Amino acid sequence: MAFNIQVDGMNELLNSMGKLPEKAAKVAAEALYEGAGVVADAVSSGVNGIRTEPFKYARGGKTRKPSPEEKAIVAGAKHGVAKFRKNGVSVQTSVGYQNAGYAVLNGKTKPIPQIANAINSGTSFMQRQPFFRKAVSQANGAATAAIEAGIHAREDELNPD
Amino acid sequence: MPEEYTSLVEALKALTQAEDPNAENPVTVTLPMAEDEWYTRPDTVSYGMVSLDFEADALRGDDRKVATAYEGSVDLFSLARNGAGWVELITGTLTEHCGGAWSLNHHTYERDTGLFHWEWAFQVEG
Repeated sequence: MAFNIQVDGMNELLNSMGKLPEKAAKVAAEALYEGAGVVADAVSSGVNGIRTEPFKYARGGKTRKPSPEEKAIVAGAKHGVAKFRKNGVSVQTSVGYQNAGYAVLNGKTKPIPQIANAINSGTSFMQRQPFFRKAVSQANGAATAAIEAGIHAREDELNPD
Repeated sequence: MPEEYTSLVEALKALTQAEDPNAENPVTVTLPMAEDEWYTRPDTVSYGMVSLDFEADALRGDDRKVATAYEGSVDLFSLARNGAGWVELITGTLTEHCGGAWSLNHHTYERDTGLFHWEWAFQVEG
């Protein structure tokens, strides 16, 4: 015995379902941008908290704090949310100094990410001040909440209707 | 158990029992400098330190949220490319005491000094 079932609107529903991954990726990207913005803001605040001292050469196992010039370069550098990478419904981004460029420091041209890294992780002759790691760690909860709020605010866009 | 290994374990234990990391004066334990009789590890040009840096939002490794979590770091500087045995000791100790809540945060070569620099970040419950 065979029987047929016809549901009005099924074709429309299937079409909508076909577009769902695309919509989901859009919603995810927008929500992720808001969450990444929270982290980027935290990093900006962290830069302001870097403690400095006038530049000096640190020798004999001594270390020095970052100089005001180094702090100014990192504070003024382009940093924030990187270009989004999409793979199906998966969306990824990162926050940092990826394309910050170069700066002249003590007569030498250096990549700005390298200067930021040296302050954040320190060197054998400079004290580290983990402003970036601290910002990312402490903004984790707020960023997650912002992403969740962003998704909930766009639930209508995920509705097949 | 080598003396330097014991020191690292004791340092991590002490840090997990610290009550409040102070940003101005972080809890810092300097690993013992190498001495002549240490002919296997570490070499005579490796040194490092363990410090508790700030209060973390959550434990990263298993994404658990606990009442209080601290994030700290272990720094190792060595003229030896492989860290002269310290890398294995440090990572083994981190796994033992921090579970999965640690990662290699930074690994660079300082051209000016010839030192290799490792920085591991770890998180512990307060």
